[in-house]
Amino acid sequence: MLLKLAWLVLGLGGAGAWGVLALHRGETISAAWLVLAAVGTYLVAFRFYSRFLADRVFGLNDRRATPAERLANGRDFVPTTRWVLFGHHFAAIAGAGPLVGPVLAAQFGYLPGTIWIVFGVVLAGAVQDFIILFGSMRRNGKSLGQMAKEETGAVTGVLAMLAVLAIMVILLAVLALVVVNALKDSPWGVFTILCTIPIAVLMGFWMKVWRPGRTLEASGVGVVLLMALLVGGRYVAESATLAPLFTWSAPTLAYAVIGYGFIASVLPVWMLLCPRDYLSTFMKIGTILLLAFGILLVMPPLRMPAITRFVDGTGPVFAGKLFPFAFITIACGAISGFHALVASGTTPKMLIRESDARLIGYGGMLMESFVAVMAMCAAALLDPGIYFAINAPLATLGGTAASAAEVIRGWGFTVTPEQITGLAREVGEQSLLGRAGGAPSLAVGMAHILSGAFGRSLMPLWYHFAIMFEALFILTTVDTGTRVGRFMLQEVVGHVLEPLGRTSWYPSTILASAAVVGGWGYFLVQGVTDPLGGINSLWPLFGISNQLLAAVALCVGTTILIKAGKARYAGVTLGPLAWVLLVTLTAGWQKVFADDPRLGFLAHAAQVTQQLAAGAIEPARAARLVFNDRLDAVVALAFMLVTVLVVAASAREWVLVLTRRKPATVKEAPFVETAYAG
Amino acid sequence: MRADRVRMLRRIVSAIRAVAGMPDYDAYVAHFRRCHPERPVPSERLFYDQFVESRYGDGPTRCC
Repeated sequence: MLLKLAWLVLGLGGAGAWGVLALHRGETISAAWLVLAAVGTYLVAFRFYSRFLADRVFGLNDRRATPAERLANGRDFVPTTRWVLFGHHFAAIAGAGPLVGPVLAAQFGYLPGTIWIVFGVVLAGAVQDFIILFGSMRRNGKSLGQMAKEETGAVTGVLAMLAVLAIMVILLAVLALVVVNALKDSPWGVFTILCTIPIAVLMGFWMKVWRPGRTLEASGVGVVLLMALLVGGRYVAESATLAPLFTWSAPTLAYAVIGYGFIASVLPVWMLLCPRDYLSTFMKIGTILLLAFGILLVMPPLRMPAITRFVDGTGPVFAGKLFPFAFITIACGAISGFHALVASGTTPKMLIRESDARLIGYGGMLMESFVAVMAMCAAALLDPGIYFAINAPLATLGGTAASAAEVIRGWGFTVTPEQITGLAREVGEQSLLGRAGGAPSLAVGMAHILSGAFGRSLMPLWYHFAIMFEALFILTTVDTGTRVGRFMLQEVVGHVLEPLGRTSWYPSTILASAAVVGGWGYFLVQGVTDPLGGINSLWPLFGISNQLLAAVALCVGTTILIKAGKARYAGVTLGPLAWVLLVTLTAGWQKVFADDPRLGFLAHAAQVTQQLAAGAIEPARAARLVFNDRLDAVVALAFMLVTVLVVAASAREWVLVLTRRKPATVKEAPFVETAYAG
Repeated sequence: MRADRVRMLRRIVSAIRAVAGMPDYDAYVAHFRRCHPERPVPSERLFYDQFVESRYGDGPTRCC
């Protein structure tokens, strides 16, 4: 009875916070309301909806032995206690996506993004993660691609794999672009990030050669060194001789990241990739806890309006109206197809009992969504004028603080040139203008929060700490992603030409790595040289591809439910599937065919062609821009086509099963009674 | 008392390592002795090498 009362209070608390958000439009309110509304909703959803999914829909059964128990090998199949596995799973799914997406979507104001982050995760994102984790757990830890192949046929399996490979290329390009925009002309940032490479190599030798397997020792040393060099970076930035050495332009940085990605992919993993992964995992968890603590302590007021005028599609950060682009831009904080890969990777092999999947699959994704809410708070606490100065493209703002302030005043936000230059000086940078990509504005927001909690004099340090932390784990994703992409490519090509499929054959490794790096590197360079700033075209492409992968995962989930005789509950995945398809196909279509040259790839190509005819642009540059626009259009169309094919193949399977022309049997591993005491 | 504290510390360390995705060598040795008593137990170095190779060998381990 008391417990029920507590749930009632919680539910009312969350609802009350939403009420405050709804009623206080046009006034400044505290970030606490955003956090309260989110947490209240999560707790109620976890208690009721995830329990409904676990008990009624999936029928989780603790008498059934998990793969970790049946196949225990002490290496990847390891029974792991629930909260430890929660931490592991969360560290694997959390990345730059939930941090960057909400910051960009803050262009529409904080309310639309927050609503989608919170309700999207509860009804769609967490359901997707949970059902894929459940499906994989019942199939000895099979991957999403294998499940797609077994449940809906070989064609779907191959399509899913191609989709993953293509998405990886776009994902790595856009994440690398975020890093480039954050680090360009920033000697402090470049110095610190360069230092992470020798630190990682040192850690690698420590764990492999000197003290085998001593992960924590090595990581501890790594974190301490990194912090020392972060502090030291200030002297590099202030030194007249050293600063120019580390002041890199965007194209230089882009080629450096490409070169780094290639080297990391061909070096043995223990030397660079694995130690960096540890370093970034510990930094990530530590920083997210720090940020949560800071927000709760400072409770900053939100200066961004709840809804801005840019919902009409004229926003400077990225083009497109609230629908569908708010949903595309938020990306990983609400639903992320990429999670389906991790939820069908290491985690299902470590669950100790079936019911743990609820906390880890559903709960882990709620946590990720909470990170997105914090990122939204960090962006919305900035003065809107400052927010747009950092995130609008340089081409729109003009090169100086005075011109930027003029343009931003034209949008109806008050900001002075002194504020813009003053803030840059305060965080220890030359300029913050036109650094689209989310990382710098998040870093400024985080620096505000953390210096509010721990003292203002540390502001530049906190800013560069935040930049370093984002760049560190983005580059870790670039490392591991390139490597995974290389393996996938080798597998595909291996079907055609056998020697190229051997992952240990050096020429094949070099070729495949070069192909993958070349793929995302091309899009990265395209983004860096794009007059509209790159994020404008690449981030939506990434959002679309990520959600289309979610559509593939939800198709697999629906197939699993229908084949298990649970068709009456298929709405739990069909609902999100319909919404995700509606959003992404609309967005994809608009990105390709919209008449506005800021939005539509083909319209932009037509505009460039006209400029060429008028002699306003040099021919070589025009040819490149037109080619890139058409390439982006083809990529978007290909994503849409693959998804429609997967949905069609799955729907055919559903109809066959429902009309009893095909037996409703799932390919689960057989039931084995657990040996663990209840 | 002291032994208790050492055991506690061990558990914390192994939990933190597990969060980063690194399995526990002691637990592996226990498993190996139980399931393959006839074979010599692999060294910690070998265990670590094999783990690192397999971990980054298949499928993405990190999201965006």
